[in-house]
Amino acid sequence: MPLLTESKLFIRPDGPDKVTGSGRYVADITLTGMLTAKFLYAGISHARITRLDVSAARQVPGVFAVLTQDDVPERRFGSVPDRTLFAKDVVRFEGEVVAAVAAIDADAARKALDAVVVEYEPLPVVTDLEAAIADGSPLVHEDWADYGPTRVERDGNVASFTSMTRGDVEKGLAEADHVITSRYVTDASHAAPIEPRGVLAQWEGDRVTIWSSTQVPFQARDGVCETLDLPTNRVRIIVPHMGGGFGGKCGFHYEAHVAALARAARRPVRLLFSRWEEFIAPDRRREGMIIEITTGLKNDGTLTARRARVLLDNGAYSADASFFPHMAAMHTLGPYKIDNIGVEVSSVYTNHQPSGSVRAPTAPQACWALESHTDELASAVGIDPVVFRQQNCVDTGETGVAGQVYDEIGLQECIREAVAGIDYGQDLEDDEAIGVAVGWWPSFPGPSGAYVKIDSDGKGVITTGAQECGTGSVMTLPILAAAELGMEPEDFELVYQDTSAAPYDEGATGSQTILNNGRAIVEAAQQIAVELKNLAAEKLEASPDDIVLADGGAHVAGSPKSAVPIARLARTAAGGEMLLGKGSGTPPEYPSAVDVSCVGDRGMSGWAGPQFSCHAVKIRLDRETGVVRILEVSTAHDSGVIINPIGASGQVEGGVMMGIGQALTEGTVYSEDGAQENPAFLDYKLQTIADAPPISIHFAEVYTPGMGPHGSKPIAEAPNVATAAAISNAITKLIGRPVPHLPMTAPRVWETMQRRGEA
Amino acid sequence: MTQPITQPITLNVNGMDYSVDVDMGRNLLGVLRTEIGLTGTKEGCDDSECGACMVLLDGQPVNSCSYLAMQAQGRSVTTIEGVMSADGLDALQRSFLEEGGVQCGFCTPGMIMSARALLDGNPSPTEEQIRIGLSGNLCRCTGYAKILAAVVRTASGD
Amino acid sequence: MSFTIAESVDEALAALATGARPIAGGTDLVVGTRQGKAHLPPSLVAIDRLDELDHIESGEHGIRIGATVTHSRLMIEPTIVSGYTALADAAALVGSPSTRNIGTLGGNIMNASPAMDTGAPLMVLGAVVQLRSTGGSRAVELSDLWTGPGQTSATADELCVAIDIPSRPARSGSAYVRLEYRRAMEIAVVGAAASVTMADDGTILDGAVALTAVAPTIIEVAGASTSMTGLLPDAAATAIANAASDVARPISDLRGSESYRRHTVGVMAARAVDAAARRAAGEEIGVPVNRAIGVGAS
Repeated sequence: MPLLTESKLFIRPDGPDKVTGSGRYVADITLTGMLTAKFLYAGISHARITRLDVSAARQVPGVFAVLTQDDVPERRFGSVPDRTLFAKDVVRFEGEVVAAVAAIDADAARKALDAVVVEYEPLPVVTDLEAAIADGSPLVHEDWADYGPTRVERDGNVASFTSMTRGDVEKGLAEADHVITSRYVTDASHAAPIEPRGVLAQWEGDRVTIWSSTQVPFQARDGVCETLDLPTNRVRIIVPHMGGGFGGKCGFHYEAHVAALARAARRPVRLLFSRWEEFIAPDRRREGMIIEITTGLKNDGTLTARRARVLLDNGAYSADASFFPHMAAMHTLGPYKIDNIGVEVSSVYTNHQPSGSVRAPTAPQACWALESHTDELASAVGIDPVVFRQQNCVDTGETGVAGQVYDEIGLQECIREAVAGIDYGQDLEDDEAIGVAVGWWPSFPGPSGAYVKIDSDGKGVITTGAQECGTGSVMTLPILAAAELGMEPEDFELVYQDTSAAPYDEGATGSQTILNNGRAIVEAAQQIAVELKNLAAEKLEASPDDIVLADGGAHVAGSPKSAVPIARLARTAAGGEMLLGKGSGTPPEYPSAVDVSCVGDRGMSGWAGPQFSCHAVKIRLDRETGVVRILEVSTAHDSGVIINPIGASGQVEGGVMMGIGQALTEGTVYSEDGAQENPAFLDYKLQTIADAPPISIHFAEVYTPGMGPHGSKPIAEAPNVATAAAISNAITKLIGRPVPHLPMTAPRVWETMQRRGEA
Repeated sequence: MTQPITQPITLNVNGMDYSVDVDMGRNLLGVLRTEIGLTGTKEGCDDSECGACMVLLDGQPVNSCSYLAMQAQGRSVTTIEGVMSADGLDALQRSFLEEGGVQCGFCTPGMIMSARALLDGNPSPTEEQIRIGLSGNLCRCTGYAKILAAVVRTASGD
Repeated sequence: MSFTIAESVDEALAALATGARPIAGGTDLVVGTRQGKAHLPPSLVAIDRLDELDHIESGEHGIRIGATVTHSRLMIEPTIVSGYTALADAAALVGSPSTRNIGTLGGNIMNASPAMDTGAPLMVLGAVVQLRSTGGSRAVELSDLWTGPGQTSATADELCVAIDIPSRPARSGSAYVRLEYRRAMEIAVVGAAASVTMADDGTILDGAVALTAVAPTIIEVAGASTSMTGLLPDAAATAIANAASDVARPISDLRGSESYRRHTVGVMAARAVDAAARRAAGEEIGVPVNRAIGVGAS
């Protein structure tokens, strides 16, 4: 059943707001009497607070509230509960919030910040991952053992740890004809949505309404409740239009700070971040890594064993990063057939900005390392890298690294189509090359709810907990509801992004919206379909089982001319039992990993609905400067059946472009004392439209049962996995060895070439 | 409370004159969004690096974050709110919608302003001219493919 | 605090004499005040509407470019593109289209950034800056104007009113190339401008080379003319690459290491010489060279 006929043009419902400037984002909302919030940041990466006095700041004219940790309940939060709203005794990264001010305007707020007296006793700054786990390293959290119970494996500066073992690595390596070891390092990078975040809070009585540019309104609400000791029915989070997230606006950030300020000030308070704050403060940064991989293989290319050690830069606090080691372990192993594995991954506390989920967390970096390594393997045995992958990648019915046997998957189709799409093997200029890489990414089943109603004129309203961060849920959700009811997507209005109006949803995170909320909406719409069929059956004197909903009406199967318009049925229903549906579709189960043993297991070994991809990238290298230009990208993705083609291709194009940035120009540079040196777009360089290559897209539409609606799987993060890896492999073809440091900036490419010259 | 020294100025925005008192240091973006109440123009970086604040000044795209309101006196300012015509969306706005050039929408107003100025000056730009003309507008969502398609389509009059 | 829109150059000069600072596009001035990096001067006089400063006059002795001519105009102005091409190359690379629309040549020069794009072209073209104050006028060589990063030898009451560039000899050409990590929105990591005049036999008669972002100011490669004279362009480019790398005094920062800059400024200098020589020989190479011939793998 086609969900959306190709000839039909469905404009995203929030689109007209966005092209006319009438759509409101948090920064566009003002309330009468609203105050301006500003934060005092640590400005030092590790120090004990020896004095903090805000009394003078409170006296600054126009200042209504000044808060520190002394003014809020003492609650630690995070996936490892290691964080408080404001710094408590110790600051651990430059962007840690020490105090917050609400004032009549920005100038008064700035004067108040200047009037806060804070004195520090510097503590040793931890920035080097290997030094941080060595004996005797200063600890980022001296008191971590007192933070309360956690399921996470941790010790010293190791914030979380996972190991995966299967088979016998030593035996596998001993059987190999070649044993190749590689070491790769990646810099941190940023989500960098174009909208800097904003939070606006207003109290009425004992209830607070918070407008926030969050990707995860329910998580934000729960954070406010947890840290300010409030029940959920007193906290309402509303997200107006949201200017992009990419993970950077996942998690619980500043909603509680602003709510606390507004309560103390007895006024609405709005916080708007500058671009500098957006870079240095949130606990959402793509983590830097050190990845060491050793693989054994036979002369015929068979992989016999893999051992890896990975260190992740956790930063100063754990945010949602405690599952990252398990995720990084899977990405270091990859979608390959290897029976003997041993991987250890540690996420290491440092005095850097905390790491957190940014679009496919850990995947692009680990994939870049693994896939660069894989080309080294192919080269060692003289097999073309594409053939090598076709030989070693998993296929339907085969067993992956964690012992999971895959149902029907499209990875081999992805490899075939991606290279076909770029004419792999074509004659190239001397300074051009094509690199290929594969990637994978799991789906995250979870709870989600929605209501659907049809009003008296036959028009519908979907009330959903789902969050739209740009990815197009506003299109796909109405498409799904309409398909169940024989209506058009335009027949539905969406009420969304309001935690008091709609049931729970995890938010725009983990590419999960259509997978989970889509199922909920289908279920809710199906309830209405039953009601409509009953009503139609009565009118048409037929059995409800014989009623078909199509083209905006209900008819008896085989007699479309008998159709009763849904509007008429709705009018009837409005006079009595109304057309209301609710759904909270049961989440699919995670498949189990079979014979892998796992310390620090976070349930990431068995992947539900795994998505696969292959990217092939043609580049040109300026050999005299190391500058790489991307000429063409060919992509193929198995994300199951595609429900909304324009939305899905938009995700691929955006993910690839973000991957190109991460490959070449996007990396955070840290000073020795832990401060970011490029927290601005001038020197943290996003790719421009002048850099954007043509991107071809193939979807291997493998119908995936028991996952998303209509055999679908998610799509938003998967396109951000393999691009940098493919670029790396293209560069290696031109310069003879991988650039061992991501991003592969022009200076790093050139330096790698110089080292080759020396060797 | 601060008492900045303000000067009265008149700004012509989307064909209408507005008299406002502004402090010399205020940028045009802030005055458009606050005093004049047109919030379609966005602030993404406050540093001339992202283009979300793009407006037209006498028909030419300018980063309003890095332009003082006082500099705009006597000039004609066009914001995204001034692009739509009386009978509906501008052709560019329609193309952005139909090609899927809009995702989160935060870069969209600035992108459309740059594209509008480009097409006003050169109704039939090459693809490379479009790329250069929009190169001051960062988009994180789309990878630019559908934005480029939208401008190409508008230029070719489809 | 005051903001005055000058209606004449004399009015602007009078304001400068009482302590006001000039503002044209404001692209450097306004961005410079972000994050408390600097304060806006308390008194500003806008010079961007003075017709007297916004004109290009060419005559037999050369060309005079008003201080408030924008980069957008420079990059397409036929006399600049045909005769003073390096300046058009540079103007086309400045910032973004919006910055080029309001950023002015005079502003770029007087901001005195060692990474400015128009500086090296003006230097190889032998430009002279016209400064005026209520006390009179003077002409200053660029090498005397720039004294350090953000610093000039102009006094606070002096306004840059025009830039004079002498007329170009026959069989001459010029070019500016810049290292770019992206194809747009870049600031020079390094850059180089070259001007050459060709002899009848296809060798170089004389020329000049200047470098961007490898010293506290834009610097000229001393002796460039001598080292190129009599050489075919290929050999001249090689010689200049070495000379440029030798005279560069770059710093290491997050945009590039000292050694990388020293190497790439030589590459840029060689490419500038090559493009300038080809233009001198009559080859049409579009503006900017970067995009026309693929500098930086464009």
